[in-house]
Amino acid sequence: MPRTIWNGSLSFGLVNVPVSLTSAARDLDMHFRQLHKSDGAPIEQRRYCSKEDEQVDWEEVARGYELDDGEQVVLTDAELAMVQPRKTRTIDIEAFVDIEEVDPIYFDHPWFLLPFGESEGTLRAYQLLVRVMESTERAALGRFVMRTKEYLVLVRPREGLLSLTTLLFADEVRTTDEIAPGGRKPAKKKVDQAVAVIDALATDWDPERYTDCYRQRLERIVKDKKKGKTIKAPEEPKQPKPPPDLMEALEATLAKAR
Amino acid sequence: MPPKSIWNGTISFGLAHVPVKLYSATESKTVSFREVHVSDGARIEHKRVCSKDGREVPFKQVVKGYEVKPDEFVVLSKEEVAAAAGARGKVIEIEDFVPEGEIDPIFFEKTYYVGCRDEAEGYRVFLAALERSGRVGIGRFTFHNREYLVAVRPLDGVLALHTMRFHDEVVEAGDLELRKPGKGPGKREVEMAGQLVESLHRQFDPEDYEDSYREAVLELIERKAKGEDLSPEEPEPEEEPSDLTAALQASLGS
Repeated sequence: MPRTIWNGSLSFGLVNVPVSLTSAARDLDMHFRQLHKSDGAPIEQRRYCSKEDEQVDWEEVARGYELDDGEQVVLTDAELAMVQPRKTRTIDIEAFVDIEEVDPIYFDHPWFLLPFGESEGTLRAYQLLVRVMESTERAALGRFVMRTKEYLVLVRPREGLLSLTTLLFADEVRTTDEIAPGGRKPAKKKVDQAVAVIDALATDWDPERYTDCYRQRLERIVKDKKKGKTIKAPEEPKQPKPPPDLMEALEATLAKAR
Repeated sequence: MPPKSIWNGTISFGLAHVPVKLYSATESKTVSFREVHVSDGARIEHKRVCSKDGREVPFKQVVKGYEVKPDEFVVLSKEEVAAAAGARGKVIEIEDFVPEGEIDPIFFEKTYYVGCRDEAEGYRVFLAALERSGRVGIGRFTFHNREYLVAVRPLDGVLALHTMRFHDEVVEAGDLELRKPGKGPGKREVEMAGQLVESLHRQFDPEDYEDSYREAVLELIERKAKGEDLSPEEPEPEEEPSDLTAALQASLGS
């Protein structure tokens, strides 16, 4: 059972549903520690004052912010805590939106919201929210504070539970203006051919088809190294040249796929 | 100022290759601070120190250790770790095309925009074909010595690339224990909740939401810069949870 990192209540009008938050993503990466090459001892990161070259304890660390004129403003953690929004134990639903209107580019980290506690009332109110959002295909937009930061979040049903995703703010998503290729529309014949290639490579989405080859290779390397084998460095990858004729390449792909 | 690309490569599907560049699509606007020493305001430096001899360790003397048992490490050089990167360095290789609506966005991790490099024709053809087919390309590519699973889809007149989580990195509802209520919500409650959802329904416009916390932090910085004395305030007491039907009625104002 994954760890609960926050609990409070989801508030919807005057209804409060006690909930807990647990991550919907697992970190399966292999984590390495930094070691000192000569003696194999773990390396520690220590804080030093750049002026006195003396070690500094965490309690003596404050936050520095550089203003436009180069002047520095120093805030202590206690001062920063003052602007922490007060209602830290509720997720306030402000609006309901159509799920499809929220582009996944805004999605930040995924979580599950679970009912907190065993009371019948809580479980029923939770089920009520799941059911009403499932039937209306709407998701709830709200705000809440986790640790010290306020987040905009989207709550939507997923597999019979409530899923919560922190969202990016509008100004954190860049515009595509300068990236769009512009120019004339591509020739219909070429697009037809490319669509035919896409159709030939079409399949249903099945996440289990894809395994993390990087993780597997890294596990193998660690295993080999433990046995004392030599690890070979990879070759410098080559950049394929774009085909001189796109149509020819698309046709050749189709011929191969059939 | 035109955005700076962070990667040059090629999208390949079948035998067709489209030369592309990658750009970051998102940037965090969280107010970031640097660590300073409270007594003299000087910048804090992080030093790598050997836990055994207490001396500073230069970066060249740092190797990576994977802990196989407590305090027992398999030591790898940075080059050995890089050997796991795979051989597809400069290529985003599309393996499959899947219907766009089938992928739960929970799989998406970070987003990049894909722009064209050199000539734009192949890019435009690929973009138009994806738009028309309603499909998303699933492929792999290597970035900073690490291989990613990616989804490439049309967005707002360009191609967007999402790095993705693998299936075992996504928690399923079945992995969680959840007790169902003895009695589900009643018809009347579902109706009232439906009305409440309706009354709060709005069109989604990301511009409607501001990062009020960011604003508050910036304001605090300004006050402090003016030399104001900042002193903490008292927290507010919390609300009590209430009876479900009564709360729904009160919310609807009936």
